[in-house]
Amino acid sequence: MKTFKHSCSVLLIGLASSLASAEISVIVSTNNPNESIDQNTVSKIFLGKAKSFPDGSQAVPIDQDDGAAARVAFNSTVLGKSASQLKSYWSRLIFTGKGTPPKQSGNDAAVKELVANNPNIIGYVDSSVVDSSVKVVHKF
Amino acid sequence: MKNIAKNLLLASIGIASSSQANDLNINGFLSVGASMLDNDKVEISGYDTNGGFKQDTILGLQLSKQVNDSTTVTGQLVSRGSEDYNTESAWAYINFAANDDLDLRMGRLRVPFYYYSDFLEVGFAYDWIRPPAEVYSVPFSSVDGVDATYRFSIGNWDNSAQAYYGRYTPEGAGVDLRNFTGLALSGQTGDFSLRASYHRLEIISDGTGSFGAVNQGAAALIGTTGSALNTGLLAAGYSNQDIAGAVDDFTLTGQEIGFYGIAAGYDNGDYSAIAEYTQSFGDAPFIPIVNTYLVKAAKRFSDITAHLTFTSSETELDSGINETIQKSLMLEDKQSSIILGARYDYDSSSALKFEIQQLTEDMRSGAGEIDETGMLYSIAIDLVF
Repeated sequence: MKTFKHSCSVLLIGLASSLASAEISVIVSTNNPNESIDQNTVSKIFLGKAKSFPDGSQAVPIDQDDGAAARVAFNSTVLGKSASQLKSYWSRLIFTGKGTPPKQSGNDAAVKELVANNPNIIGYVDSSVVDSSVKVVHKF
Repeated sequence: MKNIAKNLLLASIGIASSSQANDLNINGFLSVGASMLDNDKVEISGYDTNGGFKQDTILGLQLSKQVNDSTTVTGQLVSRGSEDYNTESAWAYINFAANDDLDLRMGRLRVPFYYYSDFLEVGFAYDWIRPPAEVYSVPFSSVDGVDATYRFSIGNWDNSAQAYYGRYTPEGAGVDLRNFTGLALSGQTGDFSLRASYHRLEIISDGTGSFGAVNQGAAALIGTTGSALNTGLLAAGYSNQDIAGAVDDFTLTGQEIGFYGIAAGYDNGDYSAIAEYTQSFGDAPFIPIVNTYLVKAAKRFSDITAHLTFTSSETELDSGINETIQKSLMLEDKQSSIILGARYDYDSSSALKFEIQQLTEDMRSGAGEIDETGMLYSIAIDLVF
């Protein structure tokens, strides 16, 4: 039992430190001509206020699944909103036909794959999974 | 001819394949509420001292589908407890995105009278159980017609301008609201938002329904010696001969009604506030100017939001002839409420709400003065799915 408690607390500490230290990268396809996108523009794209990248091409944002660590960090740092506030924000747009939230598209690996294969998609992943298949345009 | 057919076929295949790529979106909202009034001296339409579950209970189901790159169809069915769960299409329209910044819609639309009009019934989208009735008092919310929404930025402000034109015939009221048109402008920067709107419409009564009954009632009263309206007209300087002609003045048809509203909001995540003011007016002697406003402040404590609202609606008395007539018709009317409430977000798509509303009614007329206060206690659960 003691060992169990011990391993639990080690796990929690490990989780907490990984949450605290995790760096998130906003990624696009290597075929996307944009090199760097500022936080304000990323936020506008993910809140449906901007529909294109700075170069004018269509931007399609995708979210990670509800509760994913990267999503929690992205919502609070880039969008500055809690999950409830975001739900309330989108419910104001969905039911007026003025916008739909980004599609939930799985975890780090799934988002990376979708981004790699479509120059219009923009997503965010834990920086540790970034490889040459995608291009980082913003980090936090 | 063959070519046209071939092109049509190709086009339809194109539409079919692109529509397969885009899912049918289904979204819904549900509010279930219970409320009770502490006395029956004040009147809040639909609420009583026995408590009830119907008034704040609303189910909405929205289907939308992108049929091609620029065109989306949307339908929203709403079933309201306050209308015995009759289901109505609150929205049913085709949206054509002319470009990233311009949307054109045709069909049944929500009239953008107020700050919260677009999502009036989606309780989850705001803190109250229902928007305050003092301000949110127009008894219908849809129009059948066309609108255009243009989005633009000026400096740090993200703005939109929406103009619409249409017509609305509420069921059973015996009235046709024609040349129904308006403009709504809104802007948002950082934590601040501003909104202004102007609307006008023409009322045409066909003599039936609730509007017809009001007209017949007014005509009968005008001709009845000793009635408040007859006395009021005489006191206002009408001669007995004029009174026969006055029936036309008091027949609700052919008049124009105007409405404008302004609002300002602030929300920094912890604190939020909103102020909204509206005025409605008409071109007939018995359609008074009505001024309404609300001021609300809220503070979020993680999952709990506490809010306090003061709201008022007051009929403006014109000087001279109209004042006397308005008094005889009991058209001088003031109502205000203080609403204290809390919202608890127990997960990211459902909220539990409590509200206490103190309502004060203050009416003056030829018959005297009525000044009453009542409390309305409400609880509701709002979901979106």
